[in-house]
Amino acid sequence: MSDLLWNVGYGHFLVLAAVLFLIGVGGVLIRRNALIILMSVELMLNAANVTLMAFSRMWGDISAHTFALIVIAVAAAEASVGLAIVVAVFRGRRNVEVDRLNTLRH
Amino acid sequence: MTRTLIILVAAVAVAVAGGPAAADDAPAGAPCARPVDAAVRAALGSSLLPGTPILCGAASAETKNVLAQVAFADGRTATVEVAPNGVVLATSYAHTDLSGSAGKGMAALFWAFALASVAGALFVVTRRNLIAAVMGMVGSFLGIAAIYMMLYAQFLAVVQMLVYAGAIMVLFVFVVMILNRPEDEPVAPSGRAGQALGGLAIVYLIGRLIFLLIDVQPPNPEVAMAAPPAAEHCVEWANKACTRMAAYDWGSVRSVGTDLFGPGLFPFEAISILLLLAVVGAIAIAKPVHVDDDAPARTREEGAA
Repeated sequence: MSDLLWNVGYGHFLVLAAVLFLIGVGGVLIRRNALIILMSVELMLNAANVTLMAFSRMWGDISAHTFALIVIAVAAAEASVGLAIVVAVFRGRRNVEVDRLNTLRH
Repeated sequence: MTRTLIILVAAVAVAVAGGPAAADDAPAGAPCARPVDAAVRAALGSSLLPGTPILCGAASAETKNVLAQVAFADGRTATVEVAPNGVVLATSYAHTDLSGSAGKGMAALFWAFALASVAGALFVVTRRNLIAAVMGMVGSFLGIAAIYMMLYAQFLAVVQMLVYAGAIMVLFVFVVMILNRPEDEPVAPSGRAGQALGGLAIVYLIGRLIFLLIDVQPPNPEVAMAAPPAAEHCVEWANKACTRMAAYDWGSVRSVGTDLFGPGLFPFEAISILLLLAVVGAIAIAKPVHVDDDAPARTREEGAA
């Protein structure tokens, strides 16, 4: 047990990433606010990046860093478009709760 | 008198003991031949001050290649492999003071930052107040940046702090301010039984994942936080074959950049197009409705409110 506590290995980083990813999944499933759902998706992308970094160190392959940068850029694009959709929807219906949104038109 | 004698003896002892050791510390090798010296200085470029000595080892028996050693002023050393005709075959950089970050203190830091990122993530999914959720997200991202740093991804850690904790979260704060909604219910009304079932399923999944992942057997036996070896890159090609290798510090800007603008050039260009599309799309979606259909939109909004 103390070995698990003081000897941090790759498994620790992978478990941390898995826990973060599951919290993100839980957020997407149980929350109704579109903003919180977007943030949970960002959390899942970050957990995937942590996994990438751990495996990159494990296999000594630096190209995972390039891939993680691309994931960050995709997350930025996703956040900007997603937030634009949230603002547009809010302008039309004064509401961003996903349970009450079932059509894309105003 | 006795004291002077002791000091004298001590000085002689230090000179005798330290003399040969000091001679051992000097890098083995002699000054390089003129073409090799010029080739190494050209390969290292402006990072090498004029006047820094370059020491060459003995030429290898079969290939006649020479390994030249350079010690930079900032503690780095570079090893350059040069062919007899002056062509640089490989460059490798190393920090002489790289001692790794394994140990109890580092393990304690790992637990602290892991706890910070998980607590921030839990904050996001449980808060009713949207601003509080965004702040929890910022804390979570900063913790993840520290985790990146522990995995020797320095450049990515800085990008994480700038892009995520800085830019994306500011975007979220702006949108929360624009919406200006009262606090809402934290969780969807799915009934007590559904919530208990979902919670149990998530706890079971986390438990299984922990028992599965904690036993991951890495192909290299050292601790994850030990200092990594330098990353190898191909920096010159001829006829699709690598003619020159270089090794840069793991996770440094130079290393990631060499990979990004070498093998990763096509994804990089694709990402630039994606970001352009995202900007145009975001403006097109979020732009206010037209002047000519403004009036009906306003009546709809009032009807909804």
